[in-house]
Amino acid sequence: MPDNWSFVLAAYGLAAVVLLGYWRMLVRHENDLEAQSAPPSAHLTPGSQTTSAQTGERSHAAPFSGHPRPKPDSRTSLQ
Amino acid sequence: MRFVRRAWILAWKDLTIEWRAKETLNSLFFFALLLIFLFQFALGPDRERLSAALPGLLWLGFILSGLLGLGRTFVVERENDCWEALLLAPGDKSAIYVGKLAGNLLLMLVVEAMLLVLFGVFFNLDLVPVLPALAVVIGLGTVGFAAIGTLFAAMTSQVRARELLFPVLLLPVQVPVLLATVKATEAVLLGEPLGAVAHWLKLLVAADVVYVAVSVLTFDFVLEG
Amino acid sequence: MIRGLGAVTVLALAAGLVAGLGLAPREATQGNVQRIMYLHVPSVWVAYLAFAVVFVASIAYLAKRADAADRLAHASAEVGVVFTGITIATGSIWGKPTWGTWWTWDARLTSVSILFVMYLGYLLLRGMIDDRERGARYAAVLGIVAAFNIPLVHFSVIWWRTLHQPPSLMKPGPGMPLVIVTVLLVNFVAFSLLYAYFVVKRVHLLRREAEAAS
Repeated sequence: MPDNWSFVLAAYGLAAVVLLGYWRMLVRHENDLEAQSAPPSAHLTPGSQTTSAQTGERSHAAPFSGHPRPKPDSRTSLQ
Repeated sequence: MRFVRRAWILAWKDLTIEWRAKETLNSLFFFALLLIFLFQFALGPDRERLSAALPGLLWLGFILSGLLGLGRTFVVERENDCWEALLLAPGDKSAIYVGKLAGNLLLMLVVEAMLLVLFGVFFNLDLVPVLPALAVVIGLGTVGFAAIGTLFAAMTSQVRARELLFPVLLLPVQVPVLLATVKATEAVLLGEPLGAVAHWLKLLVAADVVYVAVSVLTFDFVLEG
Repeated sequence: MIRGLGAVTVLALAAGLVAGLGLAPREATQGNVQRIMYLHVPSVWVAYLAFAVVFVASIAYLAKRADAADRLAHASAEVGVVFTGITIATGSIWGKPTWGTWWTWDARLTSVSILFVMYLGYLLLRGMIDDRERGARYAAVLGIVAAFNIPLVHFSVIWWRTLHQPPSLMKPGPGMPLVIVTVLLVNFVAFSLLYAYFVVKRVHLLRREAEAAS
């Protein structure tokens, strides 16, 4: 039987992609959480209520949902 | 015996409500009839193909009707703001489960009987000689289905997208029961004795025991809030 | 500590890779395609491990109401689903050249697929309940039901299959050569370490999220 290395590569490649992808999602999640809790001082202007609103929103995003996460600069739009 | 009495009262209440309005029963009968049409249209006029698939179709019919019927078990409480009343009921909450289960079992068995008659008529089956064996298989399968169905119905009644989540959660868990019942029904319809499918029956009994036991033990946690 | 675990994991994965692609012998009938087994089988073992942890953590949560147990169950279910997905995908890729088909309802693939949908439902349930405490409780109940279902699924599927077909080629039979067993074990250890690493990170994340929300 022919060796079918392409299939072996596909299988190992797929596993690698999935596991790496999951790892990267975890790391990105973590960084987002850290960025969020780290600079609260930068947003003490009108937005102290908005910060907590954003926090509540963040903690809902289920990791498997693939939702686009709210970017830090979107806070400023909540004037 | 307080437990049994409580369970009985709940079952009696549900049955009385259903008997007065007959909403669920009528709709499910209609649904069963439509399913027969659906199966016929989906699988074409070829008699052979249909008869080969009959055991599966029968259980598909039971399951689809069951999903509709079971999904509504706790809706009656929700719609009438009685959920909190259930939560506040004194004593062992699993009596509520047993009561609901008994009611659901009866409902499902009635619907299944209707479906059996319809199948017999439309697909020209002579079910009378195999009725006892068939009854055993259907009984065991229905208990398995209703046991977890009642538990999950209680869980999902408080959750968003209840109508979607209920079948999505229930169906994977029901696969063993489905496999066992279809295989056993196949054998029974061919006239084989129940002994020939003893292993499937044992699986069904095991499943029933496990499902009821786990549901009784965990129902309290579902009804907490 | 997480970094240490991460480093060890990477080493173990590398070792597993080398073992699977290099050390393990070329199989007689299937050729090198059989090396996919060193991904497929350890994955499914880790998946079962993950769901066992979900079971224990679920019971612990209902008994003690410890949020840590809830987080562990959640994380383990998630990682378990990831590994289950990998099992199915690698099984399918392995099946194409060996059996000529992308999918077959053989005993293992079928059981694993049912496992996959059961625990995907678990994650779905968690996602749909906003109240944290209720979500934890309901998920725990589901985790327990699903775990009890695993042996029922296992037997029913095997009986469903073996009455029609001979056992699949993929099943590592008894009396396997030591080399193959060793490579499988090495990969199993590597994947288990990866599982542990993922779960620790995920639990950590869940705790941070909970703290941020309060």
